[in-house]
Amino acid sequence: MMDVGRHPNIKLLTYSEVEEVSGYVGNFNVKVRKKARYVDENECNACAECFKVCPVAVPDEFQQGFSSRKAIYMQLPQAVPSSYIIDMEACLGNNPIACGKCLEVCDKKCIDYDMQDEMIDLKVGAIIVATGMDVYDPTELDEYGYRSFENVITSMEFERLICAGGPAQGHFIRPTDEKTPKTIGFIQCVGSRSEKRGNRYCSNICCMNTIKDTVLLNDHYPGIEMKVFYMDIRAFGKAFEDLFRRSKEAGVKYIRGLPGEVREDPKTRDLIVTVENTTTGEVEQHELDMLVLSIGVLPRQDGSGIQKLLTLSRTADGFFMESHPKLKPVDAPTKGVFLAGCAEFPKDVKDSVTQASAAAARAEIILNADKIKVEAITSMVDKEMCTACEICYRACPYKCIEVDRENKIPAQIIEAACAGCGTCGAECPFGAVTMRHFTDDQIIAQIEAILDEDPMEKTVVFACNWCSYQGADFAGISRLQYPPNQRIIRTMCSGRVDEDFVLYAFKLGAPIVLVSGCHFADCHYIDANRWTQKRVEKLWDKLEKMGVRPERLQLEWISAAEGQKFAKVMRELEEMRKKVTKEEVEFTKNALKDLKFKREKRKAKLQADKAKAEKVAV
Amino acid sequence: MAEEATFKCLRCGHEFKMPFDPKGPLVERACPKCQSNSVRRMKEEQKK
Repeated sequence: MMDVGRHPNIKLLTYSEVEEVSGYVGNFNVKVRKKARYVDENECNACAECFKVCPVAVPDEFQQGFSSRKAIYMQLPQAVPSSYIIDMEACLGNNPIACGKCLEVCDKKCIDYDMQDEMIDLKVGAIIVATGMDVYDPTELDEYGYRSFENVITSMEFERLICAGGPAQGHFIRPTDEKTPKTIGFIQCVGSRSEKRGNRYCSNICCMNTIKDTVLLNDHYPGIEMKVFYMDIRAFGKAFEDLFRRSKEAGVKYIRGLPGEVREDPKTRDLIVTVENTTTGEVEQHELDMLVLSIGVLPRQDGSGIQKLLTLSRTADGFFMESHPKLKPVDAPTKGVFLAGCAEFPKDVKDSVTQASAAAARAEIILNADKIKVEAITSMVDKEMCTACEICYRACPYKCIEVDRENKIPAQIIEAACAGCGTCGAECPFGAVTMRHFTDDQIIAQIEAILDEDPMEKTVVFACNWCSYQGADFAGISRLQYPPNQRIIRTMCSGRVDEDFVLYAFKLGAPIVLVSGCHFADCHYIDANRWTQKRVEKLWDKLEKMGVRPERLQLEWISAAEGQKFAKVMRELEEMRKKVTKEEVEFTKNALKDLKFKREKRKAKLQADKAKAEKVAV
Repeated sequence: MAEEATFKCLRCGHEFKMPFDPKGPLVERACPKCQSNSVRRMKEEQKK
């Protein structure tokens, strides 16, 4: 932290919040609110005279509430900048002048009660999101007695207790009698890997954190008896197994089974833990002086705000999603934004540093380039056809389209930020937005080729590049059997599948059409597949109004790992295809015989308008 | 607040009720019987 604070090329803005981000890769404009500290951070030399005279004491959040701090305080001894700050909510009567003791004793006159928040505008080329994590609050788990029994603490509280800079100056004591405990228990997976309470995912760091704690305690307090209650120990990293072995060799007892009940002896304040040891199959009781709940990691509560600011994507569990789990593990879906640390998923220090280094290196590539190359897979706007209706802007997951509806200024694509999902093209009601890749003409040609011969024997499948198409590939390399009647048309995103494509396939006699894409949580274009769902829902209504069975248009979310699902869906579609009669296909073809692509309709209208204008002029 | 709506699976024909918030974010839906995502919300006139 000190190095960062002193680095000439790093501007560290602490106690600040990003309020607005606009622009695109290489050209981001960021508005930051630098909150008022009420202490001049450049002048303050942390002499602590103000701290000594402040009469207000509130629980110290950094020490997990084990000790108190003053209304004027430093969050932690190593804080950068090394400067005090006034907590205005705690300051006497919210009116500092009434007290003003800190002001009186500050020789350097650093305190300014009238300090205001400052807005800072930054121009940056790349953004790294390293917003960290929250931790699980185990209060809801009644059986563990957290908050009911003082000697039941969380792993975060334990860290403060044993820290040299902690409330007990590194002396390990139990909260009720401030004596060094003789027996201590650790319960693993608190709030993790649970279907009902807490989170379904493994928090990744808790096993090794507990193992480290047991080794540490054994080194400093060799006589302490330690017991770890666990489901299974995940010691998967480099040298992790060795540390686990050291812990066991030090006499730490690992008991497989999570306690069902924790009681307290009201006289001694000792804890009685009841657990089913699943190795022996017996119910055991353990008397402990202290119990540590190894709590899981949560995504930050303010994640949705950051998600909106940077048009990011989050997985179902709330962590930020990377652009690609294997090929772009530190890139966010928005170009020029990178992820590091637990903002992406729970990880330990080593993995966080590795990811942060990778993110910094990725950002450096952008910062060092005068121009950046983007793949030629962007969309483009035919300005003559565009009515500036803003539908493309609303549909764009990256907000990389500029359009002014009021002044009728046609849409313009910011190509550096466009990821090429094609949702704008599919949503544009006038066919004004076209793609440089997977063009309408190419897709239409594929539909025509597929349905040129024996259309009744074929099912047209639109599959997104990242998930469904890969699911089909996986089904293939897994040698899974499914009927050969499906014909796949690949698009970058299911959001690209235009209504026209589906209707055209039906017009040419397709018995069944499937639109398939990534699961909602996996969409590689943030939320483009939500537009797919909306569009398919509208198409179901449209088909029904035309007298066509909506069942003939199918929708499926298939991930790259779901080869089995892909094969199953293909088998089901084949059964459906066999039931489609020749009569209903003929009826559909007849109902769609006058189908005109929206681009053609718009062109015709423009020509008609032009002809009318010419006529009026004449 | 999410209301309950009737949905129909366009794969297996199963009809079922599930929470639906017209103003809320779109959620991924699957038929509880066949797990298909071809799940269509039935409007009043369609139910008849």
